[in-house]
Amino acid sequence: MLKKVLAVLMSAMFVVGAAGCSSSKKEATGDSAQETSAEEKDTLRIAYTADPEGLDPQRTAAIATLEVTSNIFDTLITCDTDWNIIPDLAHDWDLAEDGMSITFYLNEGVLFHNGREMTAADVKYSFERLKGEESPKASMYKNIVGIDVIDDYTIKFTTENLDVDLLQSFAYPWTAIIPEECSDDLKTNPVGTGAYKYVEWVPQQSIKLTRNDDYFGEKANIQNVEFTLIPDYTSQLSALMVGDIDITEVTADQIDVLNNTDGVKGYSEPQNSIEILALNQENEYLSNVKVRQAIAMAIDKDEIIDTVVWGNGTKIGSHLPVCSPYYVDTTDVMPYDVEAAKELLAEAGYPDGFTISLKLPKPYQTHVDAGQIIADQLSKIGITCEIEIIEWATWMSDVYTDKKYDMTVVAHSGRLEPYNFLSRYKSTSGDYISLLSGDVDALLDEARQEKDEAKRKELYADIQRVLAEEVPCVYLQSLSKFYGLNEKVEGFSIYPIDMLNLKAVSFS
Amino acid sequence: MLNYILKRIWSAIVVIFIVSFITYFVLMFIPGDAASLILGTEASAEQIAQLRAVMGLDRPWIVQYADWLRGLIHLDFGESYLYGTDVLTLIIQRLPVTFSVAFISMLIASVISIVLGVLSAIYKDRPIDYFSRSIMQIGSAIPSFWIGMLFIVFFGLKLKWFPISDYVPLSNGLFPYLRNLVMPCTVLAIGEVGMLIRSVRTSMIDTLNQDYMEMAKVKGLKSSTIYFKYALRNAMIAPINVFGMQFAKLMGGTVVVESVFSLPGLGRLLLVAVEQRDIVLLQGIVMFITAVVVFTSLVVDIAVMLLNPKIRAKAGGER
Repeated sequence: MLKKVLAVLMSAMFVVGAAGCSSSKKEATGDSAQETSAEEKDTLRIAYTADPEGLDPQRTAAIATLEVTSNIFDTLITCDTDWNIIPDLAHDWDLAEDGMSITFYLNEGVLFHNGREMTAADVKYSFERLKGEESPKASMYKNIVGIDVIDDYTIKFTTENLDVDLLQSFAYPWTAIIPEECSDDLKTNPVGTGAYKYVEWVPQQSIKLTRNDDYFGEKANIQNVEFTLIPDYTSQLSALMVGDIDITEVTADQIDVLNNTDGVKGYSEPQNSIEILALNQENEYLSNVKVRQAIAMAIDKDEIIDTVVWGNGTKIGSHLPVCSPYYVDTTDVMPYDVEAAKELLAEAGYPDGFTISLKLPKPYQTHVDAGQIIADQLSKIGITCEIEIIEWATWMSDVYTDKKYDMTVVAHSGRLEPYNFLSRYKSTSGDYISLLSGDVDALLDEARQEKDEAKRKELYADIQRVLAEEVPCVYLQSLSKFYGLNEKVEGFSIYPIDMLNLKAVSFS
Repeated sequence: MLNYILKRIWSAIVVIFIVSFITYFVLMFIPGDAASLILGTEASAEQIAQLRAVMGLDRPWIVQYADWLRGLIHLDFGESYLYGTDVLTLIIQRLPVTFSVAFISMLIASVISIVLGVLSAIYKDRPIDYFSRSIMQIGSAIPSFWIGMLFIVFFGLKLKWFPISDYVPLSNGLFPYLRNLVMPCTVLAIGEVGMLIRSVRTSMIDTLNQDYMEMAKVKGLKSSTIYFKYALRNAMIAPINVFGMQFAKLMGGTVVVESVFSLPGLGRLLLVAVEQRDIVLLQGIVMFITAVVVFTSLVVDIAVMLLNPKIRAKAGGER
């Protein structure tokens, strides 16, 4: 028996020893393999931190899914980095005089990855599926009551009520056009018309795509795309630096480091996203508008931006990001002024402050950090925050669905039309931050029906001012997105909607 | 012996059943469900209720549990909502990684801890003993994510000896496979050695103090014979339990090390299942881990029986 044990031990030592010796030998071959791949680089490697929720663009709200599927599927129209609507599967469209219907003219000869031609019937099917009860986005398209196939390449959508932002709603990645025959297992086997074809998804490991050589538009520059799952930030950064991956999201503090490192570069752009401190208007203290205003004036947004995102953010005063065409500057409505804040709090009847809970979503370090600074700043006017760091699932059910919270920090993003950004403030929306005074209800309804662009802008400006004054949330900053790129990566950019456009990326 | 094994298997089934019940029960009390997660921050309350109904999450938990159990009897573990894939397939995909990591790191840890444990028992209170006691302390004290990061930055980024983030299956060749596993397995082994050295050392010291050791010395046996033939063999009986349980623990996945080294193992699958409230997937993994623990302890018991002459005699007697 003992001999057997010893034999096992000896062989174990041998294996470990052999691994040790030969690993140094292998180093040379490993490096040369990397060199050859650098010469004829034909695979774009992107790091991601969490698996998508399946690859069906119409059955999830997960950004991780849409960033992948936006390369496999196409939409009727899409948008460029400057928020302009541009043609995609539809080469042209007509908005009816009364704004109640829209007709799209489709490109001919567009093939799905299974070889069948895409026609108007597929568009009809896709939108019916999008309106189905399993679809997270169904309510966004409730207003569309008629989908009529006019001929193979013409399709008309009719709405129930006037919605001046109708066109934009066809640009989102969840309006992907899918072939009916593949709809049952899109989650694991997505088939679209996009510039990349799906190859393989190994959960928790990688997602592989390859170029669609029959793509109807300008074909992708790079032959293969491989998303690699790397959950840990340090490992992502290290993998970028040794050249294992080409694109990874990074934190703001790494941008300078990357720009000063050979072989890699930092990329930072303002994103269509805002960070807010939501205040529950049903809370005993927060139901008083003076208390909310006091909190807004006690918060130094510059300090938050400097500390949390190293200055890579822009402070805001209302619920639209700085890059939105409808943005107006409202930062002066509730300026940082601790003395005024103390006075407001005294007027409200709380000269000595009070204690309140602040729930922070754990997976979002930016929000957790911001929350901790806010707690410190509010202590200066006598408000004590009891910080509770909670899981995302708990946040979704407790804060978002059940509205069991006092204050929380979170971000909202990814909408082209201001109406979709702001409609949650309607007093009837039942949303966790709806403005209960009802002061924006009429303005929102009016804005949605106002065809005159200038007047619409004015209405949205009014809405932003009301929100700034009534403070259902303290609007902290317009967020930016930060990426680390291999220096050979060209043409990578971020978009106002949740998509990645990989066909535009190339290696220099 | 056979009787004994059958009895153990029967009790294993009961344990698995109880564990599955507890998991379901506990899950009902943590806030959050799959429907609200899928719909995200744009959904209304009606939409969430609607999707809950479609997914069957609005039924009483006991009904959901009974449904799941019915599937299990037909060996259907169900489908993960998150991946849209059969749960059993997902677990089987993870097995090579998890098993490799558990096996190799236990191998490394065993070699180190048996050698150091035996030496420090024989040379108690001498330099080698102090050395292994400090290793014991350091191994248990250092957090594995931290040492993992150091490894990545030093061996991966600076020296470029080992790849930072990849798992290569054995079918791609023994060499690349081992090269990718050296760092994570070493990190895990460092975490394990502390406890293992301690158990080997204590048990060995205990054995060396037994009267029959004196007897052996008096008899004039060679010290190597005394230590290895008589002492180690008896001294291993207690540590084998510890080794077995540590191995079972590693088979359940190691979230931290898997995350740092991007290994697609069971630990991270378990974490995702909890975070995303993928109950069916979580149940499948919990079942699997329970089965592994039960099975390992069975193997350990048999090994102890074979090692221990007293128990061996008893088992033989029963036959």
